[in-house]
Amino acid sequence: MAKVLIPTPLRQFTDKQDAVIAAGSTVGEVLGALTAQFPALRNNLYNAEGKLRSFVNVYVNDEDIRYLDKDATAVKDSDTLSIVPSIAGGRS
Amino acid sequence: MIKIEPAAWTVMVQHAESTFPNECCGVMFGPSGETKTVVEAMPLANTYTGPQEDRYEISPEDLLRAERHARQNGFDLIGIFHSHPDCDAYFSKTDLENSCPWYSFVVLSIKGGRFDHANSFLPNADQTAADKEPLEFPESNG
Repeated sequence: MAKVLIPTPLRQFTDKQDAVIAAGSTVGEVLGALTAQFPALRNNLYNAEGKLRSFVNVYVNDEDIRYLDKDATAVKDSDTLSIVPSIAGGRS
Repeated sequence: MIKIEPAAWTVMVQHAESTFPNECCGVMFGPSGETKTVVEAMPLANTYTGPQEDRYEISPEDLLRAERHARQNGFDLIGIFHSHPDCDAYFSKTDLENSCPWYSFVVLSIKGGRFDHANSFLPNADQTAADKEPLEFPESNG
């Protein structure tokens, strides 16, 4: 059971919890368990095709899963997952 | 509605003016609620690798550190700020396409190196539109 840290704006969908314990041996499984427990989170994290939205990054401890095995990245019970958005922009 | 306290506002304006003519960026902390109040602003590095006069990028690692800072200090990360050098504080197509619907986005217009005006926006999840959000800052009442 890994810990998932919930960013402030998403806590309205997790009964105001700032961290949720969720089961799974991979990132995909943990996020699946998280969104099964809190279905309203799903639309915030995934697009209509069921893929993580382009602005959603997931870290296992301090590692970005894009540089590990993405959804298949292994998760241990002692691990902490963080959901971190991508943010950029510009005047033009 | 988002309200920015004087100390945080000073940090934001100083950062935006000191990085002129480049775009700056940073995060805003405070208690969230119906009226969001920014009590602390933290400048972050613009990590865009090309010309920074018209682009900014925040590294996810910096945002992860900012989120931890908020948790440690009992605040919430409630918004992102960035500057538009020598143009108005609108939410551009680039801003929209690289936004996230979870936060308020405050844009500061810096003209000739000095603060001119600011606006706040709330982008949607599909990154197709952003509503203007009422913004209050120390100089906004004249």
